[in-house]
Amino acid sequence: METENNSRRDFLLAGLAAAGLVAGCSPKKSPFEEAAAAEGAKPSGKTVKLLSVDGEVVEVDEAFLKPVPHMPPVSNEEARVGIPGKKFVMVIDLSRCKNLKKCQEACNHAHELNPGHNWIKVDPMQGAEHTAPYWEPTTCMHCDEPPCVKVCPVDATFKRQDGIVLIDSDRCIGCRFCMAACPYSTRVFNWGEPDIPAEIKSQPYSAETSIPQKKGTVGKCDFCADMTRMGMLPHCVSACPNGTFFFGDMNEDSVTNGAETFRFSELIRDKAGYRLMEDLGTKPSVYYLPPANRNFPFESGLENDKTQNS
Amino acid sequence: MENSIQGEQIIQDLLPRKFKTGGKVWIGVLTAICLVGAYAYYRQLRYGLIVTNMRDYVSWGIYISNFVFFVAISLVGSLITAVFRLLGVKWGTPLTRIAEMIAVGAIMFASIIIIVDMGSPERFYNLFLYGRIQSPIIWDVIVITTYFFISLLLLYYPLLPDIKILLRFKEKYSPRLYKFYRWLGAFWKGDHKQYLLSKKAINALCIAIIPVAFTIHTVTSWLFATTYRPGWDSTNFGAYFIAGAFLVGAGGVVVAMYIFRTWYRMDKYITPEHFDKMGRVLVLLSLLYLYFNINEFLTPFFKMKESEASYLNDLFTGSFAPMFWFAILTGIILPVIILLFKQGRRPLPMFIVGIMVVVGAWFKRYLIVTPTLLHPFMPMHDVPSAYRHYFPSWEEWAIAMASLAGTMLVITLLCRIFPIIPIQETIDHNHETVK
Amino acid sequence: MKQLNKTITGLVSFVLIISGYNGFSQSAQKASVNIAINYFNANNSIPHLVVNAKTRVNGRFQPVGGIAVKLLLDKDSAGTTIGKVVTNEKGEAASFIPPSVKQEWASSKTHTFLAVFDGNNKFEATKADLTIAPARMLISTNDKSITATVLQLKDTSWVPVKGVDLKIGVRRLGGDLPVNETPTFTTDSTGQASADFKRDSIPGDSKGNIVLVAKVEDNDQFGNLSVEKTVPWGGKFKYVSTFDRRTLFGTRDKAPIWLIFMSGGVILAVWITLILLVRNIFAIKKIGREAR
Ligand code: SF4
Ligand code: SF4
Repeated sequence: METENNSRRDFLLAGLAAAGLVAGCSPKKSPFEEAAAAEGAKPSGKTVKLLSVDGEVVEVDEAFLKPVPHMPPVSNEEARVGIPGKKFVMVIDLSRCKNLKKCQEACNHAHELNPGHNWIKVDPMQGAEHTAPYWEPTTCMHCDEPPCVKVCPVDATFKRQDGIVLIDSDRCIGCRFCMAACPYSTRVFNWGEPDIPAEIKSQPYSAETSIPQKKGTVGKCDFCADMTRMGMLPHCVSACPNGTFFFGDMNEDSVTNGAETFRFSELIRDKAGYRLMEDLGTKPSVYYLPPANRNFPFESGLENDKTQNS
Repeated sequence: MENSIQGEQIIQDLLPRKFKTGGKVWIGVLTAICLVGAYAYYRQLRYGLIVTNMRDYVSWGIYISNFVFFVAISLVGSLITAVFRLLGVKWGTPLTRIAEMIAVGAIMFASIIIIVDMGSPERFYNLFLYGRIQSPIIWDVIVITTYFFISLLLLYYPLLPDIKILLRFKEKYSPRLYKFYRWLGAFWKGDHKQYLLSKKAINALCIAIIPVAFTIHTVTSWLFATTYRPGWDSTNFGAYFIAGAFLVGAGGVVVAMYIFRTWYRMDKYITPEHFDKMGRVLVLLSLLYLYFNINEFLTPFFKMKESEASYLNDLFTGSFAPMFWFAILTGIILPVIILLFKQGRRPLPMFIVGIMVVVGAWFKRYLIVTPTLLHPFMPMHDVPSAYRHYFPSWEEWAIAMASLAGTMLVITLLCRIFPIIPIQETIDHNHETVK
Repeated sequence: MKQLNKTITGLVSFVLIISGYNGFSQSAQKASVNIAINYFNANNSIPHLVVNAKTRVNGRFQPVGGIAVKLLLDKDSAGTTIGKVVTNEKGEAASFIPPSVKQEWASSKTHTFLAVFDGNNKFEATKADLTIAPARMLISTNDKSITATVLQLKDTSWVPVKGVDLKIGVRRLGGDLPVNETPTFTTDSTGQASADFKRDSIPGDSKGNIVLVAKVEDNDQFGNLSVEKTVPWGGKFKYVSTFDRRTLFGTRDKAPIWLIFMSGGVILAVWITLILLVRNIFAIKKIGREAR
């Protein structure tokens, strides 16, 4: 929870900081104009007076006074093309994972998923008999050549220009071909009517939030496309207390887990990052750092594993 | 051959007959099974696919097995007809109509069962609104539609002369049936020009149906082979499926032959000789399928790739082994052994062999779908334990059985209205033999 | 995460106090809610406060929405009200500082913000406070070296502050990438901390502009401060989109040409034949009618 706040606050700062650029040169003008304009707000003509840090009174247009960003859900067309200029990437540091499953919890909570419907799974892995076991969190790999998208008959699952693979649950016919095609077994199906609060269920479906899940359609990790659109980190990234997940924009060459930020290319080079099942040619967007120099012994995760996998 | 059968006698023998008690009971039983299936489907519509025992790993179950099975059966129905007709295999004449009827029935239920398998069938129209040509499912939709249409035409064209004969016996049918016959074929006068046109059309159909039939089953195999899964990721799959389809289709025809022969007392038209010849065909097809099976399993077994090892072991010696060896033995090996003997090619043993082939084939389809899904690349972890195995729920069984019953119902109804054996062709054929 | 330690410690003590208190009031059946205030000031402009409300459900913190919190400056009296805010579904609420407290703001060099929740039918009343000394930050650059300065209001002038931990980074998605290996810098007696820029060719915008950020996070004295500056030190980023390529995983209007031609050709060939065969039926029909 704490880390989650952190990322939100970072964003608050970001919005205001951009505004401050203008404020720096002429503090009496609307310092929020730029940030708000970027969000698509128009000056309302009504101004309010506020106090600056110097104790001076500053006039600001009301329309720009939105310290906590609020994004209206984007249209289906926008959700299908994605954010231009971005290429989202995730790095999972296996040396930090001890199967706490906080990522899973946060993900299930954020997407209103039913128990057993895990978009994030944490698998105990062992390459061969005498090699060391480790915990491997898996999400959708958001493959750059996604086999699931290839086979979908109705464009219900699609690849966006920012690299995210999403599902349009208003179009999915539930043929489950994509589940068979995904080699990472990451897709889950709503076999029955999902058990979600009525007020959420009645919302129109948004491909970016994947809410609400619908009976007879497929679901999977969406890289929290709504969060990334607002410049925030996916829920799993901020939820992991060990900072296992890093997220970022490949075009900015950086990934962050909220507390630490690395240059993506250096991180992958220095720690010998790799992707899963490279030989299949799916070109995943999720990279793994090998479980070397571990922060936790493998056994420390076993306790937590019993609950769900009895 | 009983050369002495005369034209009128043939007609009397082959006219469609009203159901007797046995027929009525049969229809009743089939309808009852269908109704149970309909109720199960109602439950599935209402509660979702949760009523099945398919879950995230085994995301395709017996519905898809059944689909593959139907496609397989239907393929050969038409293929037999086409090949027999094109090659001018005269002894095949009495079998063609049966094969065509099986094809139509099976392909109808192939498309129905695929809709049943959909999680959101009410959105079926999305396939037409948003269909992507890149998806093998769309290929399948196109091919099945085409094939269904060709099968109907191939059933219809050779029926025309028979309908003319049927129309001669107005008093034998209810007015509605009579009207239906008139609507279907009153225009057929047996005119030479008509005959020529029809003959040309039948030839064209027989040629067209061969590639389409190959395509339908190849595309169906691609639904599996275009994925990465162990056991499906195979370049052999198209040919493997087609070989299997030939076998099960021929088996189905043999079973139908026997049933019609006994129930409709058509011993004169479907003779032991037919069984003998079909027996030889079956041996050939079994051997062909055996070859593809060896091809499909021996090479991966030899390599034992890490990703495939657990799947293969599960099939050969693990939990699927009994079913696997049962399917191979009853579906392929025993038929070959039995049919190699002349005794084995008599009607009754042939009937039993036919059933063995069909049942074995059904289990083979089950084995193609399920074990692969239970051996994904990633460990089956972080899921409820019920997700890690699969046994169909009663709803699935009911619906699957209902689809089988439905196919038989369609076939039964088709033989109620149309002659099971082409009358005109038999007369012509007889004529030639007499001469 | 480190920067949050203070908040966490605060919260934990809160939880302890409140859970102790809960022991007495079991019959009340009201849950306790934790409130935290944070002070932010970006680019030395208008400061704002963010209130976070959460409660513990089954051992996990859940945000509490719909909680009305009164914010006050320094003391609880009529003239010092900053405002009343209501938390959203994320348990957050924010407020600026209105001109009405101008006098109070000018009267002191440190301020204590008070947050008061009067309780409702679900949650018990609670309070929180936060003491802040208003401060400013400056950022300047000189030949790939960055200097950040922290200033505090003393008497009537802004004077440098020594020993403040700050970070200097490049603004990136979801976090700031440190400009070199050093994670944090500390201001010296001139209130300054300098860092060399070692992120050569880090992608910027199309002109190579990047945004440098200097920030003080969760400081006991100053809260959260930040300042930024745009410099043309990045690599020029050219966005090459492969999105419109015709591929097998493209949308349906982006199917590969070969596939369209192949499938279209086959479909046409077969269906033209079939249509001809259907027409053939009508031809036969016509002959039949003429023969009559
Ligand atoms: S991981 Fe699976 S679901 Fe995700 S993009 Fe790749 S193939 Fe598709
Ligand atoms: S289940 Fe839905 S998303 Fe998956 S392939 Fe079918 S229609 Fe597309």
